Amino acid sequence: MTWSGCCDRKPSHKEPKSLATIRLRPQIDRERVSLSPRVRNRDTRRLMQVYLPIAEMSANVFALLGLGGGVGFLSGLFGIGGGFLMTPLLIFFGVPSAVAVATGANQVVASSVSGALAHWRHGNVDLKMGLVLLAGGVVGSFIGVYIFTLVRALGHIDLLVQISYVVFLGGVGAAMLIESMRAWIRSRNPSAPKHKLHEHTWVHGLPLKMRFRRSKLYISAIAPVSIGLFAGIMSAIMGVGGGFVMVPAMIYVLGMPTSMVIGTSLFQIIFVMANVTFLQAYSNQTVDIVLATVLLAGAVVGAQLGTMVSGKLKAEQLRALLGLIVLIVCLRVAWELVVTPPDLFSLESPLP
Amino acid sequence: MKPAVLCGLAVALLAAPVAAQAPLVADISSREIAITTGFAGAELLLFGAIDGRGDIVVVVRGPRRAAVVRHKSRVAGIWVNSDSRKFVGLPAFYHAAGTRPFDRVAPRVLLERYEIGEDHIVFNLAPGENADDGEEFRQAFLRNKASLGLYTGGEGDVTLVDRRLFRTTVSFPANVPTGLYGVEMYLFRDGRLITRRTTPLVVRKVGVEAQIFEFAHEKAAVYGLIAIVVALMAGWVAGAVFRRA
Repeated sequence: MTWSGCCDRKPSHKEPKSLATIRLRPQIDRERVSLSPRVRNRDTRRLMQVYLPIAEMSANVFALLGLGGGVGFLSGLFGIGGGFLMTPLLIFFGVPSAVAVATGANQVVASSVSGALAHWRHGNVDLKMGLVLLAGGVVGSFIGVYIFTLVRALGHIDLLVQISYVVFLGGVGAAMLIESMRAWIRSRNPSAPKHKLHEHTWVHGLPLKMRFRRSKLYISAIAPVSIGLFAGIMSAIMGVGGGFVMVPAMIYVLGMPTSMVIGTSLFQIIFVMANVTFLQAYSNQTVDIVLATVLLAGAVVGAQLGTMVSGKLKAEQLRALLGLIVLIVCLRVAWELVVTPPDLFSLESPLP
Repeated sequence: MKPAVLCGLAVALLAAPVAAQAPLVADISSREIAITTGFAGAELLLFGAIDGRGDIVVVVRGPRRAAVVRHKSRVAGIWVNSDSRKFVGLPAFYHAAGTRPFDRVAPRVLLERYEIGEDHIVFNLAPGENADDGEEFRQAFLRNKASLGLYTGGEGDVTLVDRRLFRTTVSFPANVPTGLYGVEMYLFRDGRLITRRTTPLVVRKVGVEAQIFEFAHEKAAVYGLIAIVVALMAGWVAGAVFRRA
């Protein structure tokens, strides 16, 4: 029996009034006055707190739901997994980066399933292309988790995650912004010459050609496999689906029709991220199922709202907006790398 | 916490006559800190009675663990972890409080022997570690632990009532490391150690949290699969809801 068990109010009231108890009364009353607001405060705070068993921290449920909802909104708006936003936000929130990356991957599985299902119903998934990308993606995620574990042991995992973010988000964000600006200018000036519908590049000269009926393509399998491989490595290191790299690569390198691209990339992201989740859980024990579940609950609602709003915006506007958000996240991460940290020393408890 | 305080004081009072025989009687408001779903930190009351004059020092020590302190330096414009020291056997949590500043309670030799006060914790480098700049890394460790709320305590935090009853509170943050803690209470008189008491304190995850953590570590593969299935189901349900809306 611990002390808390004996501390119900009833027994203490029935206590015989010994000399000592009477002498101490004023002290107890002062205690009651000074402690009660603090106790009440802690009780209400407790109602909103949830303890994350793998991250080993407690967080506010509503803040996590809001985070999930906000990222879900954007993922519904732009048709992306949202991992590239979720992972840095979780790290910013105080979740250890290893847990943020692995849990982000788990959360992306869910959001891409719901997205891919919607695209599947509209016939916008190229199954064959998805499987070829997946073959590369699965191999890539094995390599990525291996690199992750290795770099983590060397103590540079935060740096690797941050640099990957700056490089990829910076590149893709800038490209998207510029491309959508150009498209916007073109749309205001219809006399300007239009792009060719289907450009032949060096990609079409590679061997091992395959026919992809849905995408109306006859290209080498090497190109989609390498794109998948690259996205898989990134997924494992950054905790993202890699959609923001794969989507442009599929459009500009493979020349896939835009309508097919999002559904197909979401389809393959499900499997790649499921694999990343499994590998991170297996080799690093960093998937926090409680955190993922709370985030998911928010993301489901957010994604609905996002999809509703997305119907009201133009494609170029959406791309420009997404490019802008990607760039902001990139600058935020870059800022942390460049600005002098308040304490040059940091503490790390090695894994048992 | 309020009932605990009331009860604790009452018990301390009842125990007071016993103090006539033992120079120091002491206890804590709970011998276990249970980390549950709503865990947002905990506060423990440490209390007791002493017989006659003396100074009380209370030390709460977490499980001893290894720790790596890393130092960043600027490489090509960005901050990179460039140097590190690994220490072994450092308490994961540390709280020391006394009725008076420690250097007035006991001589340095005793403070160092019992590692009383953050400045007297023994820092041992892991085998093969570079011994340079040890002091800088030691300071950095203490500073980082303090900002995490894991190294706490002021030297004068123990209050003495009527020169006989003493009490102090210790706060444990939500990120408190799990394991076996030691609550040590020392009675010093005229710079000599009269007696000391050690009470074990267990900090552990209980209920669902504990099960999830153990499951994730012991059956990592199954845990990974479950995480995936949960995500797939959630996505599928979300998809179904989308379709209706």
